[in-house]
Amino acid sequence: MSANDLLTGKVVFYSPGGWSFRSNDALKINIKDIEKFQRIIEEDEKRCIIVSPEFVELDESGHIKTLRDKIRNSGVTIEI
Amino acid sequence: MIILEKQTEKKNLYQRISQDEFSVNKIKTSSMLSLNQFMEAEKRIKSKNLKVGIFLNSDQSLDCLKDKLELFSIIQINFKSFKDGRPFTMAKELRKLHLYNGEVRASGHILPDQFVFLLRCGFDNVEIDGKEKKEWIELYNMDEGLYYQP
Amino acid sequence: MYKYSEKDKKIIAGRVKQFRNQVQRRLNGKISEEEFKPLRLMNGLYLQLHAYMLRVAIPYGELSSRQLRKLAEIADKYDRGYGHFTTRQNIQFNWPKLPDVPDILEELSKVEMHAIQTSGNCIRNISADHLAGLTNDEVEDPRPWCEIIRKWSTFHPEFSFLPRKFKIAITGCENDRAAILVHDIGLKLIKKGSRIGFQVFVGGGQGRTPYIAKKINDFLLKKDLLNYLEAILTTYNQLGRRDNIYKARIKILVNQLGVEKFKELVDESFKKLSDKKLELNETTIQKIFKFFELPNIKHCNEKISISSNQKFNNWIKQNTIPHKILGNSIVLISLKSENRPPGDANSMQMYKLANIADKFSFGEIRVTHEQNLVLPHVKNSEIYEVWNELDKLELATPNIDLITDTICCPGMDYCALATARSIPISQQISNFFKDYGDQKKMGNIKIKISGCINACGHHHVGNIGILGLDRNGKEFYQITLGGSSKQDASIGQIVGPSFSSENLIIAIKKILQTYQKNKSSDKDDFMTVFRRIGIEEFKKNLYDNTGKTN
Ligand code: SF4
Repeated sequence: MSANDLLTGKVVFYSPGGWSFRSNDALKINIKDIEKFQRIIEEDEKRCIIVSPEFVELDESGHIKTLRDKIRNSGVTIEI
Repeated sequence: MIILEKQTEKKNLYQRISQDEFSVNKIKTSSMLSLNQFMEAEKRIKSKNLKVGIFLNSDQSLDCLKDKLELFSIIQINFKSFKDGRPFTMAKELRKLHLYNGEVRASGHILPDQFVFLLRCGFDNVEIDGKEKKEWIELYNMDEGLYYQP
Repeated sequence: MYKYSEKDKKIIAGRVKQFRNQVQRRLNGKISEEEFKPLRLMNGLYLQLHAYMLRVAIPYGELSSRQLRKLAEIADKYDRGYGHFTTRQNIQFNWPKLPDVPDILEELSKVEMHAIQTSGNCIRNISADHLAGLTNDEVEDPRPWCEIIRKWSTFHPEFSFLPRKFKIAITGCENDRAAILVHDIGLKLIKKGSRIGFQVFVGGGQGRTPYIAKKINDFLLKKDLLNYLEAILTTYNQLGRRDNIYKARIKILVNQLGVEKFKELVDESFKKLSDKKLELNETTIQKIFKFFELPNIKHCNEKISISSNQKFNNWIKQNTIPHKILGNSIVLISLKSENRPPGDANSMQMYKLANIADKFSFGEIRVTHEQNLVLPHVKNSEIYEVWNELDKLELATPNIDLITDTICCPGMDYCALATARSIPISQQISNFFKDYGDQKKMGNIKIKISGCINACGHHHVGNIGILGLDRNGKEFYQITLGGSSKQDASIGQIVGPSFSSENLIIAIKKILQTYQKNKSSDKDDFMTVFRRIGIEEFKKNLYDNTGKTN
C-alpha cells in the first residue's frame, strides 16, 4: 500500500510503524484484507498525511510487478 | 443553509416544494420551483400574475425559459460540481443578453474561492452552509477589486 | 520586453496571498484533495509520480536575464538544481515541497513571473513564434497580442472552470513556428490590402483524438479580437462536453457540430454579446506594442567569418539565423545535448546563460516550443565569443532541426499518467546519431516522443512520432510517420505493430534507409519524400524482410 506524502509529494509505503519513505519497511497485504486497509487510507487522507493512495501489486515472489511502481519506488531511471 | 450577499447574511424568502407536496394550486410568490414544476404551473402563474422563483441545475439549459424570464423574481442555479463552469456563462447571458434584472443565486457544490467570480458574472448571492460563512467573507475581502476584464 | 504595471504587480501579489491561504486550508484539512486540486492546478502545481511539480509560465517564451537568474536560484533553493523547459514555452520544477510553493511564487512575483493558469481547465499560457519580431517575413509581431490576450484571460471570471484546458497560439508569419493548427485556437496575423487582422482557426489538438484546426474566420479586425475570443469561449463553455474528459476539448465539439454550425453559433454570440468595453482601441494597442520594440541594435555589414574550427562552423550553419537587422544573428541554443533529458537545463547553465545574454544579447532569452532556447540579438562580430562560452556550458550542440533535436515529454520517469518512458528513447536516439555528419545526411527531421496517449510530446505531428505504450507490463513503442505541426500541418499515420525499446532504434534506422533510398536530390527532406512516396513504401521496408520486427 503506498501513497504520496502530502507535504513533499514523496512516495511513501505503509509499514507496521506507519507511513515510511522506504519500501523495505512496507507491509505486504493479502488481497483479502484490502478493505481493512482502505479504511486506514481514508483516515490518513482526512488527517492530511497522504494524498493519492494506491496499492502496489506484487508478483508471487513478493517483488514489485509493474514498471510504474518500480520507478515510483526507485526514482527516475535517467541521470539528472 | 444561509444566504450570503457579499458580506451580508440575508434572509431566504423562498421555499422549494417537494414533489409529494407539490400542487399547482399551492404556488405562491415565495415558491421556488424546479423546471418541471414550473412547466406544470406555468398557466396558473401567468393567469394569476404571480412571480415565482425557479431552481435550475447547472446542466439544465436556460434556452426554454428565455422568453419567460419576467415570471421569475429569482433564478437559482445549482452547481452539481464546482468544476462545472456553465453557470458562469448562464449568469452572464441572463444579465447581458436577456437583460434579466431579478435576483440570481448560486447554490450547490461551490467553493469560497469562486465567490468573486460568481458575483462578477452576475450572481447576486450564494446559498451556503452557515458554518462556512467566515471563510466566504474572508475570501471576499481578500479581493482588491483589480481585474483585467471590464 | 513587457514590464508589469502597478496593477499587474498587485494582481500577482494578491494571487500569491490567495494561494498561501489555499495551501493553509489544505494543510489543516479545511479543503479536501478533490477541492484543492483545481485550485493548485490553477497555480501550476501538479502531483507527479515522486513529487509535486510546479509549472511556471514564460509568457510567449520571453525571458529576461534577471528572470532566468531567478529561475536558477529557485532550482537551487527549492528544487534539485535544474529545470525542464516544455513544449508550451514554460518551465517545470520537478521537486518542490507543498509548503514551499507559496514562497516560490512570491519570489517569482518579484521578477514579474507567475504560475497562473499553467494548468487546470482554464485558458493557458498563450504561446507564440519564438522568432517573433526578429525576422523579415513577419506581418506583425505576435507578442503584443499574446500580452493583450494574457491579460484578458487571467482570472477570467467566466472561463476559469471550462470543460477542459484551453490553449491559444499566435503566429505573425506564414511560416508557422508556433504550431497554431494543433491548438484550441490558432491565430495568424495576415495582411489584407493595407490592413492587418487575424485568421482564426479553432479545434486543433492532439491527445487521443488529434485534429488539425479549422478556419472559422478569414479576417478578424484587431479591435474585435477579445470579443471574438469571448464568443468562442462562451460557446464552448456552454456546449463542451463535461461527462467524459476525453471528449471535453473544443476539438470534439467543433467536430460534432461541424465547423459551419460552430461558426454560426460563435458569430451569433459575437453579434449579440459583444461588449464595447472589450473593443481594443488603437491607443491601447500601441501602448502594448511599445514594450516590444527592438532594443538599440546596430546595423552593420559585418559577416560571420569562417573559422578554422570545424565545430564552430557546424554550429553556425545549424544553430544561427540572420537577424532582420543586418550584421546580427539569432542564436539557437540546443537543450538536446547527448546526455541530458531534452529540455533540461541546470542552474549553473541558467546563471551563466543569463550573463551571456547580458553581455551579448541585450539581456534577452527566449524559449521555443521545441524545447530549446534563443539568444535573439547577437552581433556577428561577437558570435565566436558567444559560441565559445556556450560550448563550455555544453550548450553548443549543433543539432537544431536535425534528428537529435527531438521533442520529448517527461514520460514515466516523472509523469503519473505515463504508460512508458520517453526520455531514455530520446537519449538512445541522441547516442545513435551522435555524429554531426551523419545527422546532416538525414536532413531536417523532427522526432517527437510521448509517454502516453495524452501526447504532450506531440508525437502525432512528429515527422516520426513515437508513442510509448504498455503491453502486458512491457514498454512498447508505436511509430507514426508524416506528421507536421507547420503551416502544412498533418497528423502522422501509424506504420503498424509497435516495437520493443530494443527494436525501436532498428526500426528508425530502417525508416531512414527508406527515406535515403527515395531521395531524388540532396534537397529532399524527410517530409518531401514521405509525401511523395506515401506510407506503404516505408511499411514494406520496415516489416517485410525482417520476419518478426517486434
Ligand atoms: S504524454 Fe503522457 S506521459 Fe508524457 S507528459 Fe503527457 S501525460 Fe505524461
